Amino acid sequence: MLRLLNIIAVLALVGSAVYAYSIKYQTSYRAEQITKTKIEIRQERDAIAVLRAEWAYMTRPERIQQLADAYLSGMKRLDATQIVTAQSLPERSPRVDSIGQKLDALGLSMSATPPVAGGASTTTPKAQGQSQERRKP
Amino acid sequence: MTQTMRDTEQLRPPKRGMRAMLRAVFSTSLDLSAPRMRLAALGFLVLYAVIAIKLVYLGFKPEAATTRRAAAEAVAASRPDILDRNGEALASDVKVMSVFAEPRRIIDKDEATELLTAVLPGLDARELRERLGSKKGFVWVKREVTPHQRDEIFHLGLPGVGLIAENKRVYPNGPIGAHVLGFANVDNQGIAGIEKYIDGQGLADLHGAGFGVTPEDLKPVALSLDIRATHALRDELEKGVTHFKAKAGAAAILDVNTGEVIALASLPDYDPNKPTDALDPVHINRMNVGVYEMGSTFKALTVAMALDSGKVNLNSRLDARGVLSFGRFKIHDYHAQNRALTLPEVFTYSSNVGVARMAMGQGVERHKAFLRKMGQLTRMRTELPESAEPIVPKNWGELNTMTIAFGHGLAVAPLQAMMAVGALMNGGYLMTPTFIRRSEEEAKANAERVVKPETSEAMRYLMRLNAEIGTARRVNIAGYYVGGKTGTAEKVINGHYSKNKLFTTFMAVAPSDKPKYLFLTIMDEPQGLPETGGYATAAYNAGHVTGEIIERVGPILGLAPRFEPPHQPFPLLAKLGYGYANVPARGGGGH
Repeated sequence: MLRLLNIIAVLALVGSAVYAYSIKYQTSYRAEQITKTKIEIRQERDAIAVLRAEWAYMTRPERIQQLADAYLSGMKRLDATQIVTAQSLPERSPRVDSIGQKLDALGLSMSATPPVAGGASTTTPKAQGQSQERRKP
Repeated sequence: MTQTMRDTEQLRPPKRGMRAMLRAVFSTSLDLSAPRMRLAALGFLVLYAVIAIKLVYLGFKPEAATTRRAAAEAVAASRPDILDRNGEALASDVKVMSVFAEPRRIIDKDEATELLTAVLPGLDARELRERLGSKKGFVWVKREVTPHQRDEIFHLGLPGVGLIAENKRVYPNGPIGAHVLGFANVDNQGIAGIEKYIDGQGLADLHGAGFGVTPEDLKPVALSLDIRATHALRDELEKGVTHFKAKAGAAAILDVNTGEVIALASLPDYDPNKPTDALDPVHINRMNVGVYEMGSTFKALTVAMALDSGKVNLNSRLDARGVLSFGRFKIHDYHAQNRALTLPEVFTYSSNVGVARMAMGQGVERHKAFLRKMGQLTRMRTELPESAEPIVPKNWGELNTMTIAFGHGLAVAPLQAMMAVGALMNGGYLMTPTFIRRSEEEAKANAERVVKPETSEAMRYLMRLNAEIGTARRVNIAGYYVGGKTGTAEKVINGHYSKNKLFTTFMAVAPSDKPKYLFLTIMDEPQGLPETGGYATAAYNAGHVTGEIIERVGPILGLAPRFEPPHQPFPLLAKLGYGYANVPARGGGGH
């Protein structure tokens, strides 16, 4: 009985020692990983700082201007007259079914055309969107 | 048996002795061993005293700095990034490797010198040998080496020679905004400009106290500058300075509602990445550090003073006939009309006689008090550590008031003049210009009302009128409703005003009805050119450059162009009965 207890105690001791060791080992392993990751983060941060500085250097207005002068020879400086406000945009012109008109002019009846709204009858994407909206309800 | 008996008897006494000894050790019978206890206590007392003395000694002794500590003190500390108002990087830290040595740990100093100079060709061998021969624990071999050199040094494997990462300040935009940014030295301490200001805000104290400030702890500093506008402004100024063969020039844009400096350039300038250039006196910030007689742009202040006092109004007439004599001095008009001029005409013809009379109508003391209120007589302090004291006449008499009325005899920093004119434009609030981003509310909270809103509106009307029909027609850029004022001062050469060495200024506001930006361009000794008819007065050079700047910078700053004249641009004036102010002026005035 006593011997069994002793054996159990010894086993428990060994077991706890192994457990404690593994915990300690894992802890130091994790600590090492954290340190490594911290170093990596710092390196990445430094690299980001360098890249940011490089980006700022490459996109400095002086250089962009030189490049623009060299490669965009057809372009001119933005003139104030080229800037318009939203209010000064012209009103949207009424939708004109130009193909339908042409068909009418040719004396062809409307029923002969396929009943597809939008696509065939209009020319601008805006007008298409409009006609599709109209079909929704 | 006897043998065993003797054995046991022999064994017994030590057993008993041990027990006695244990008992003696653990017994606390003081009465028995008092002298011995006292001896032991004394012994311990002496021991602890020695330890304490040694501690105190170590505490006071300057410790032999460990390499790590010495290196941490020597390396360049990190600084916060500096951004422009849109978040573009203006100054940033990058990590670079520096080579250091611990002379005490180097075995063969001659060999180390030889190998190091082979890798780092810029080093002076004799000087390096001297440094390595010193008794110091830490010396720099070379700051900021290239990655390739770093690898080679690493592979040399010299004992006592090491590499350490340092922060290096870089300014990606080079000379753009250089005068505002200032620069930092190789130890990353701010030496000039905003860099020095940042150090003054507590960063230097942190570094001094030995706190390792990491880049993550530092919040970037957002300036009021717009880097694109600054570039455009500098580019146009550079063109102008070259074209008109001026000795120097400077330009700035001020947001009149917040007091923020949006752009500033002073030519010739320097690249803050090469800080030695910054020390050249030619490269000073002419906007902030130079003081100049601002010429006729100062007339705006005189007219505002007269209007604000209520003694004159927009319909007043002033005698501008002939020459105004005072003692042996004579005041002439550049665009002499030789008749009584209305107040707006005094402004648009830039009549010296007219404004001199206006200032005399106020008297010397009120003139002085007004200029003091406008911040023109004392040193203006912004975030920039560099500033200049205005040159104020010592004995300010009537003649001084007459000449200062048209901008001669009082030298101020151009940015200081901008502050005053900005207050005349923005509705009457004087606010010290700032280089740090701030909102209108913050600016208004510290602003002081210096003139009435009506006066401010009248001044805007006069500026606008001057751009329509007066001397500032060159800045009448379509769409921006610009107002402006020229200023030409003769430079003082050997104590006399020189007729052909001019200092020209141009002040413009856009848009005049809802003021937002104030532009100032100054040029030092611009030359007359054939296409300007040989004239070198402000309208032809500084005015021309300002016009170019407004045209180019307008879209960058988001000024919405309007091609129809605004309806009722000056409502307060209309209420006061000057309805004509809201009608666009026609016809010719001065030039």
